[in-house]
Amino acid sequence: MSEQLLIGAVAYTPNVVPIWEGIREYFAESPAPMDFVLFSNYGRQVEALRAGQVDIAWNTNLAYVRTVLQTGGRARALAMRDTDTRFATVFVARTGSGLSGPDSIAGRRLALGSADSAQAAILPLYYLARAGVDVTRLEVTRFDSDIGKHGDTGRSELDAIDAVLAGEADVAAIGITTWDGIGGGELMPEALEAVWQTEPYCHCMFTALDTLPAERHEPWVSTLLAMDWGRPAHRRILELEGLHRWVRPELDGYAGLFAAVEEQGVTKWW
Amino acid sequence: MVVILDLMRMAGALAEGATGAVTISSASELDLVRRWCERTGNTLITTSPADAGLGAVLVRRGRLPDPAATLGPDRLPGARLWLYTNFHCNLACDYCCAASSPRAERRELGVERIGRLVRAGADWGVHEVYLTGGEPFLLPEIARIVADCVRLLPTTLLTNGMLFRGPGLRALQAMPREGFALQISLDSATPDVHDGHRGAGSWARAVAGIGVALGEGFRVRVAATIASPHAADLAALHDFLDGLGIARADQVIRPVAQQGAADTGVQFSRESLVPEVTVTADGVYWHPVAATDERALVSTQIEPLGPALSEVYRLFAEQWAAAGAAARLFPCA
Ligand code: SF4
Repeated sequence: MSEQLLIGAVAYTPNVVPIWEGIREYFAESPAPMDFVLFSNYGRQVEALRAGQVDIAWNTNLAYVRTVLQTGGRARALAMRDTDTRFATVFVARTGSGLSGPDSIAGRRLALGSADSAQAAILPLYYLARAGVDVTRLEVTRFDSDIGKHGDTGRSELDAIDAVLAGEADVAAIGITTWDGIGGGELMPEALEAVWQTEPYCHCMFTALDTLPAERHEPWVSTLLAMDWGRPAHRRILELEGLHRWVRPELDGYAGLFAAVEEQGVTKWW
Repeated sequence: MVVILDLMRMAGALAEGATGAVTISSASELDLVRRWCERTGNTLITTSPADAGLGAVLVRRGRLPDPAATLGPDRLPGARLWLYTNFHCNLACDYCCAASSPRAERRELGVERIGRLVRAGADWGVHEVYLTGGEPFLLPEIARIVADCVRLLPTTLLTNGMLFRGPGLRALQAMPREGFALQISLDSATPDVHDGHRGAGSWARAVAGIGVALGEGFRVRVAATIASPHAADLAALHDFLDGLGIARADQVIRPVAQQGAADTGVQFSRESLVPEVTVTADGVYWHPVAATDERALVSTQIEPLGPALSEVYRLFAEQWAAAGAAARLFPCA
């Protein structure tokens, strides 16, 4: 047992259990057997990583950034989903709103998701400001419906969309996966349209501390990267977790979030 | 649009394979749900607005497992065609799922009709035929029936193996060795259990019958029907059958079904039973263990067989979608 790596993940959907049982089973026959621990929120998970209670944490982008900030740079990025390398925030409005591009959002009523959601709260304001929008003059409504889960449940984004459909907000900021999930403008073109989309940024990241030697994490990462979409048993897990293949970290995609956390004074704790 | 948000919220809280309901108010919303499911890899269980009852439609998180992958292609409905050649039998076993006995009405399918049914089955896509009863060796034309079947499809004949003397032996000897197997019932390694269910002296005659069939060069499968098998009894039976020269793959153990003469045993419903289309003189049935059960009757019209096979397949596809998972398989082979 002492050989096993212990991976932490946050239980934001019931499918986290089959996903991680599937991954554990896949690793059981590998040179890097593992077990997993589920947390109810990312704050607890990062705390456990720092305390050495787990070896690797499956972090959101904010949890990764917080780990880096809390440990003075002792965090190590190990791997991510292919889909994590091209995440984005989409600003949506009711069809026929006439809004288009970041300037058109200036001064509007903006619905945001949970305050700890990078895609639905932190980065929307950051990218709007970078596009020249005075974010202090936006009328912001926040839907803190899944605090602790960093927006993973998507619930707060759906609440923000509800506000737009009800006419209580002009624009909602949502993650691109939620936008895809509701049909990306194809299923209900008469209801919602995209007004603007941010540049791509990175999302989740397997994070370790520098105290975990490479000879322990490298066999695990290589095994992870070997999961194959073409094999039904692997594909089931990859589909549930929302990726085609695991990839090596791309750290450039976190620069925006580091800057946003600093600019907006987002606490590095919790 | 709201229905999509409802779907997103509902699906987000569902585990893979679980189902949830959303309310729709029009056929176009149902279409929207269908398109959303296709796009997101989920499964719409409710297929028509009428099925939806009070506007609620059922959605399964994730795709349905492929029945061919779960059950195996040889277990898909229609892969096997069961024919009850007749219902009368020289035995009257207490667990007989067809309630057969010497006094049972014969209800023969008849040589000509069996020929037509097997032809229709082969045309439809049936892979193999199982002939059962009753005791098929009570039929003087059994060798011809078997030959007609084997000409078109691989065939297994279920028998108690007790009639391989005189005309029965001659019929056996006339049967083809290729594309054909005999399945003989033997419930225990010693006479007690077998004879307790099937009558004094029946064990010894069945064992002798297995020997005759093997000696004549037939592939012989041995099937045991056991209520609650104990490991030691099973091991003894396997050892005994190994000794007779029966391959392990041809040693079949099956539970007692609560059908026909059996008043205890595993209970079945159409919902829990993967269909294996079964034809008797009375009609087309869902499964051979329920070939006297009205609830398992698919059609009283035996010919043409193709539409009944298609109907069972359609009902199965619906049942598979509704269960959203593998139905419990009750093999009666
Ligand atoms: S179980 Fe077979 S041998 Fe026994 S009565 Fe029924 S048909 Fe005859």
